[in-house]
Amino acid sequence: MSISLPTYTRREMPLLGRRHRVRAIITTGLRREFKRPAVLVVIGIGVGVTIITSIVVVLFAGVFLQGQPLDLSFFFTPASNGAILFFVTLMASVVGSALIADDLQSMALTLYLSRPITEGDYLAAKAAILAPMISMIAVFPLVLTPLVAALLGSFSWTIALEAIGLSFLIGSLFTAFYTAATLALSSLTRRKSYAAAGVFALTFGLTIPAEILAGPPFNNPAVLYASPWENYLAVARAAFGATGAPIDWRWSLAILLAATAIAALATYLRMKFVEVVSG
Amino acid sequence: MTGVVEAAGISKWYGEVLGLNGFSASFGPGITGLVGPNGAGKSTLFKLLIGQLHPDQGTLRLLGENPWNNVPVKRRLGYCPEHNTLYGWLTGQQFVEALLRLDGMPRSQAEKAAEDALKLVGLSSAAQRPTRTYSRGMRQRAKLAQALAHRPEILILDEPLSGADPLARVQILRTISEFAKAGGHVLMSTHVLYEIERVTNNIVLINNGKAIASGDIRSIRALIDEHPHAVRLETPQPRQLAQALARMDHIVSLEIPEDEALLVRTRKPDAFYRELPAIVADTRLEVRGLESPDDSLDAVFRYLVG
Repeated sequence: MSISLPTYTRREMPLLGRRHRVRAIITTGLRREFKRPAVLVVIGIGVGVTIITSIVVVLFAGVFLQGQPLDLSFFFTPASNGAILFFVTLMASVVGSALIADDLQSMALTLYLSRPITEGDYLAAKAAILAPMISMIAVFPLVLTPLVAALLGSFSWTIALEAIGLSFLIGSLFTAFYTAATLALSSLTRRKSYAAAGVFALTFGLTIPAEILAGPPFNNPAVLYASPWENYLAVARAAFGATGAPIDWRWSLAILLAATAIAALATYLRMKFVEVVSG
Repeated sequence: MTGVVEAAGISKWYGEVLGLNGFSASFGPGITGLVGPNGAGKSTLFKLLIGQLHPDQGTLRLLGENPWNNVPVKRRLGYCPEHNTLYGWLTGQQFVEALLRLDGMPRSQAEKAAEDALKLVGLSSAAQRPTRTYSRGMRQRAKLAQALAHRPEILILDEPLSGADPLARVQILRTISEFAKAGGHVLMSTHVLYEIERVTNNIVLINNGKAIASGDIRSIRALIDEHPHAVRLETPQPRQLAQALARMDHIVSLEIPEDEALLVRTRKPDAFYRELPAIVADTRLEVRGLESPDDSLDAVFRYLVG
């Protein structure tokens, strides 16, 4: 018996640029995420719950929010929906925690970085996978709510369009923070469960104690600066012109932006110097 | 420095563990085998070569360039890792295609190149199956396919035959040989010595993070010949034969490992083989068989690493 095998020949071929290579990582990543039942469930329930609760608030504003003026400040209410915090945390845990940790664990990072891509390309692609998923909960429902409110005639288009713009900006700020923080946590470990626990700790481990210490009998509102959610609320409250902010929105904005930048830089440096070691 | 790979005094620590210990070697064109036991430093050297580890000491050049974080040089190499790094949810075709697109290959070309590469390694019939359903040998071939699908100048293959079935081994070795014949360079590691001998005479022996010998296998044999060379003689009279052979001035040691065997170590194997028939004839001792445990590369390696 003889075996006939094809032969290898070398040939030169033109190669596309960096943008295409990054897109290849994104495509592979998204293909994976949209095959995971947990991701589909979080997206479905998270987007559904945040949108429904926001629109219910619009429809029944007169019942639920008696005394709330129907102006721009009204849209702070959907922006402060606790479901956003919960499902953003869940999304970051389910999707984001595995993005780098799994590649470190499975040694897929070895294959990625043996290709002509930089750590920056790799991180940009991972951020481009996670950010749209988080924004489906942190941005999309906020933008949709003023639109629906205007279509229902509850608000003028002038207010609705302003609310849409502001919702997009503050939702994007929250998305950027959670994307950067989650990737930073994911890059620190080979176990996605550790990174997921870190995301929950970042959210609830800071927010719940901060809220307890800010209220009576401690009455120390400054600790709210430690909570990303409270900082987000302070910025949103200022953006929509709502009153009753316990902390200064300027400091909150600075803290969120600085934390996002530091997390992104730390992740980049970590990936730049990560040494992929196998057994 | 003119070789495909030039390493001069490379050391790499993992905390307190030494991965490479002043490793120096030069790998020429064609196929070079990196041979050493598990934990010898082979994978560490390869990670250094593909720029994913940074040496703590020494100088390393791949195709004339420093590989650390060197994106352009990555275009010129194909890497097949030892450990399973396949995304199980991707089919073989999708896996190779995805990695080709990381090289910047347009989608249509990537599709065709992936098909060609999978055909080359004999995986066409399984190309549309998820890689999680592949056997270990099939995974090795899929990894080899992604390593060579973008037509690199040099292939760096970490234990490419590990776990491969006999047919897969034939296909992998054939593919490697064809790649080298087409002008490509191959650096492949193994701890199974006879596999290297089938595709190349150029080897580098590595142990405890150091290159202990390198060059043509025949040169290494010559190196061995400068050192005691073992010959095992089957004889019913080992003591008498030992007494007769002790007269040879190049004999280093004589040992009776079994009742009817004599193990001789000599510094001059050529002289030993030339003189032995005369001694046996003169003493009229019976010698039923003769073999050298040093005959295989395995023995060379065992000897050099002690």
